[in-house]
Amino acid sequence: MGRYDFRPLRVRQTAKALFDTKRNASLPCWYDTIGNIPPSETLARPILRAPRPKGGKKPSRMFQPLPIHHPEDKLRSEFFGDHPWELARPRILVEDSGNDAKGYDWSKIVQPGKQLDGESVVQRQMWLMKHKQYPKAKAYDVARREFYQHRHLEEIRQRVAKEEALSTGAYFGKGPLEIGMELEDRTWESWKAWAERQIEDEQQTRAQMFSGPQDELSAPELEEALEEVQPAVSELKEAQPASGGPALHP
Amino acid sequence: MIIRHFALRHGRRVLARNFQPRRFLSSEVDAIEASAENSTKQLQSLKSELNPHVPAPAASIDPETHATSPSTQITSSLAEQYHLFKQQQKLTGKLGSDISPHYQPHTLLNHPPSPANVTLELLLASEAHQGHATSLWNPANARYIHGVRQGIHIISLDVTAAHLRRAAKVVQEVSKRGGIVLFVGTRDGQDRAVVRAAELAKGYHLFERWIPGSITNGQQILGRCQTKVVNEKDEVVPGFEEQLYERPVLKPDLVVCMNPMENYVLLHECALNNIPTIGVIDTNADPTWVTYPIPANDDSLRCIQVIAGVLGRAGQAGQKQRLDAAERGDITYRPAKGLRIPGEDENKDSFPEVDAEVRKILHEKESLENADDLADKPGTAANYESDGRMVHVTS
Repeated sequence: MGRYDFRPLRVRQTAKALFDTKRNASLPCWYDTIGNIPPSETLARPILRAPRPKGGKKPSRMFQPLPIHHPEDKLRSEFFGDHPWELARPRILVEDSGNDAKGYDWSKIVQPGKQLDGESVVQRQMWLMKHKQYPKAKAYDVARREFYQHRHLEEIRQRVAKEEALSTGAYFGKGPLEIGMELEDRTWESWKAWAERQIEDEQQTRAQMFSGPQDELSAPELEEALEEVQPAVSELKEAQPASGGPALHP
Repeated sequence: MIIRHFALRHGRRVLARNFQPRRFLSSEVDAIEASAENSTKQLQSLKSELNPHVPAPAASIDPETHATSPSTQITSSLAEQYHLFKQQQKLTGKLGSDISPHYQPHTLLNHPPSPANVTLELLLASEAHQGHATSLWNPANARYIHGVRQGIHIISLDVTAAHLRRAAKVVQEVSKRGGIVLFVGTRDGQDRAVVRAAELAKGYHLFERWIPGSITNGQQILGRCQTKVVNEKDEVVPGFEEQLYERPVLKPDLVVCMNPMENYVLLHECALNNIPTIGVIDTNADPTWVTYPIPANDDSLRCIQVIAGVLGRAGQAGQKQRLDAAERGDITYRPAKGLRIPGEDENKDSFPEVDAEVRKILHEKESLENADDLADKPGTAANYESDGRMVHVTS
């Protein structure tokens, strides 16, 4: 058999052989169809890279696909190298008809139906270099400044729209600070519950470890003891030194 | 300036609200009786203010007739309502922004493109050109690859379009000859495209899992599926039920697979049983698994919808050709063998020319087709699901 299975490609020959040897009573319904519309050639590897005249690349590379380059690739990498956060902005990648780019006119940087982004700068720069014969750096500066201006206006529009919405009663949900405070409160409460549990456990183990008689005084006993001590204290002539803590245990 | 803005923004609302002056700590405090009296007065005035705005209670619904009671039914006639609606439309129709035509995902399912409408732009927009990372490629696909871009292979769209048209032609011819076409797409999200294609082509669909052995061991797996006999106009002919019990299980005549990487078993079974296959071959798939590869991106649902829609449309055209021919009295397929007209003498069976005679009768009266309703098999072949579509036996 070898590595490849060519049975799918040879269905017609197989059907013919089966019919000729009377294994099958009739030919399948697709027999003529596949005869008229044969499958394409497969496993053929065309030469995709012209071999270099002298030395250079390995001959096996001749059958590998070539990388695709466009003139705006360099401009794009330059712009996004200078403005890396432009890549973090959300972008619509869905094509409408596949001909979307044909409706754009890059004599202006703003296009109806396309959001303003780094790609606009690159295309505008290309247009300036091609139609106004600007040098690359000048075209970049012009396109960049237009981009900054429109981005600035866009931000103002967004801010005003938000203010208007808020003033007419819109609610945009909780802010980051509120959410943060809520999370902190929740963590604090859970810590509190945990700490109370810990204290309880500790008290229980302590009570279990100490098995001697409990010598704490009840309230009437304590009063009795106080009454016993008080005259003795008041009889003393000297001022009492402030020795903290109760000295009342009998 | 701030005050002016404030007046602009809030002025109307503030004026509209007849607010009470705030009571400060320093202000005089009423006696309790006085304040209670005040509050009752306020309540009454509020009530009188609110009452005219209370909407009329909704009409009660009669539980038996499910209609509102006649006293509360809308008095204005339908024509008046329509005129009102038209007037409103005239007033407000031109307001708002104009939406230019744009991509709507459902249109590919509701109105799939026909093979003549396949353009490179359509394939580009549906991301048919994006292959896999260059390290994952199968070198057998080198013919279909246009180049390398940002680490992935780009499939050349002209090759895709050519192969898609060729596959559509095959589907059309097989449907015209009354073959069984099975559409398979077992990845998430491919189900609707596959079902729609089968609906158009009057074929079958599979979107859950290929039960291994459904072709090679079909008698065990699909043996209990219901089959039926239809004539050339796809009308069911009753009376063949007993004869259909002994017939072998039906096999597809053409299998269209949207994700060959996951369905190797299916394609292998087709190869073993000499069934031609059509498959969407991405740059990491092996094109020798299928008879007719369509090099395209099998990970994009939009691309799968385009391809399934095109093939479904082709099948629809083939079915239409077959039914038109049947109207004219031509039969484009080979009628089923070994079926007796119900009610005929059984001992005719012993005659050697019975097949030919049955065929002759069939040609004269009604040609028989055997239909397989695979959906009725419980459990094992639930995913075969077809809504009673008819299929022709050619064996």
